[in-house]
Amino acid sequence: MTPLEPDDRELRYAEYVLGVLDARERAAVERESAERPDAAAAIDAWSQRLSPLAAEIAPLEPPARVWDAIRRRLRLDERTRVAPRAAHAGLWENLRFWHWLGLGSAAISATAIAVLLAVILRRPTPPPIPYMAATIVQADHRIGWTATMDIAHSRMIVIPGVPRRLSAGRAPELWLIPQAGRPIPVGMISDSAAVTIELPASLVARLGPTAALAVSAEPVGGSPTGRPTGPVIGTGAIGAAASAPTSPATAATRPESPPGSRAA
Amino acid sequence: MPTEDRATLERLLRETGAGDAQAFQTLYRLSSARLFGVCVRMLRDRDEAEEVLQEIYTTVWRRAASFDPALAAPQTWLVALARNKAIDRLRQRREATLEDAAALDDVIDDRPGPSADAETQEGYRRLHDCLDALDPKHANSVREAFFSGATYMELATRLTVPLGTMKSWIRRALIQLRSCLETG
Repeated sequence: MTPLEPDDRELRYAEYVLGVLDARERAAVERESAERPDAAAAIDAWSQRLSPLAAEIAPLEPPARVWDAIRRRLRLDERTRVAPRAAHAGLWENLRFWHWLGLGSAAISATAIAVLLAVILRRPTPPPIPYMAATIVQADHRIGWTATMDIAHSRMIVIPGVPRRLSAGRAPELWLIPQAGRPIPVGMISDSAAVTIELPASLVARLGPTAALAVSAEPVGGSPTGRPTGPVIGTGAIGAAASAPTSPATAATRPESPPGSRAA
Repeated sequence: MPTEDRATLERLLRETGAGDAQAFQTLYRLSSARLFGVCVRMLRDRDEAEEVLQEIYTTVWRRAASFDPALAAPQTWLVALARNKAIDRLRQRREATLEDAAALDDVIDDRPGPSADAETQEGYRRLHDCLDALDPKHANSVREAFFSGATYMELATRLTVPLGTMKSWIRRALIQLRSCLETG
């Protein structure tokens, strides 16, 4: 197949939104959308154009059993009864709060986060909230960033430690390195501020102890090719932050991880 | 169904994204009839539509935090998510039975729902006018595609035209729609 011209590509996104592509073509567009912000934006624009047509479909009240099933599936009752959301929102806000307080961010290592989470999760709240963490360590053995992944809400907060200074016109870009396959762009991060990144479902599905995070130096808008083009600044294995402190789990299995990145 | 105004849906999505189960329930109450209508219409099977509706709201719960009101109206976001889930389900079905459109008329009528909010109404009016400006064959193909989630191949079979013709009708229609909506 010949490479698509920009107009053809645009048309492809329109066809995706309209729904005329077959399963294989749909999957290809979804991959593009996960990897390229311009593709995602074009798809959003076409949704905006075509979705109003749904107004021609009369609403139809679903039977009550659907909501019951959703509640059971998401364990909403347990959540509201024994796991008041304030505790979780509070934790998330806490991570930012610490940072803004100016507490040495390097001190908030994955270890600290893991311990904090373990304490919180040990409260009698049955559904464990899956968090993962990674400490991104640089060649100078200093912590560049810590990343905490909130799986339930598909987001990641990346807090700078003592990141290496980059040359002008370069910015740090975060990548997910799957066990097999090429790096997947996660987003641009900052060397001075905490950044929250919303994660597409396709990316969340690939987070786990076999994957790692890496940061490379890229042009300010991000890698133009969708692959790392600049030098790698740091890497860190992903560990299950929600595991109990005594668990042997996670991050210390990769040779480049210093002892401090052990999640337990 | 109560009025789903944009600001209310935006707030509910934001609160759902923060893990508020109460807000999520309200969001479901306000939006599920519209999305269920879309599912039944596309899947033509109520049991399957119920399953897909479950998947849709499970995804809404998990992804609400990624909703950005600057990028999309909440209605658009929800409808797009619902249609995507329904289309994915259609693609999983190998033996799709798309022929008996008539059976569906018992279940659903095609008039615009009374509860669409003003913003959707405005978007709908413009889209409707632009569709009206197209060659009727092209406009029909676009509607058929939108409401059935059928592939090019299935549409060509159903409307008994060659595949290439169906593709060119729809592509031309999409290009014209875009420029019509931009100028409108």
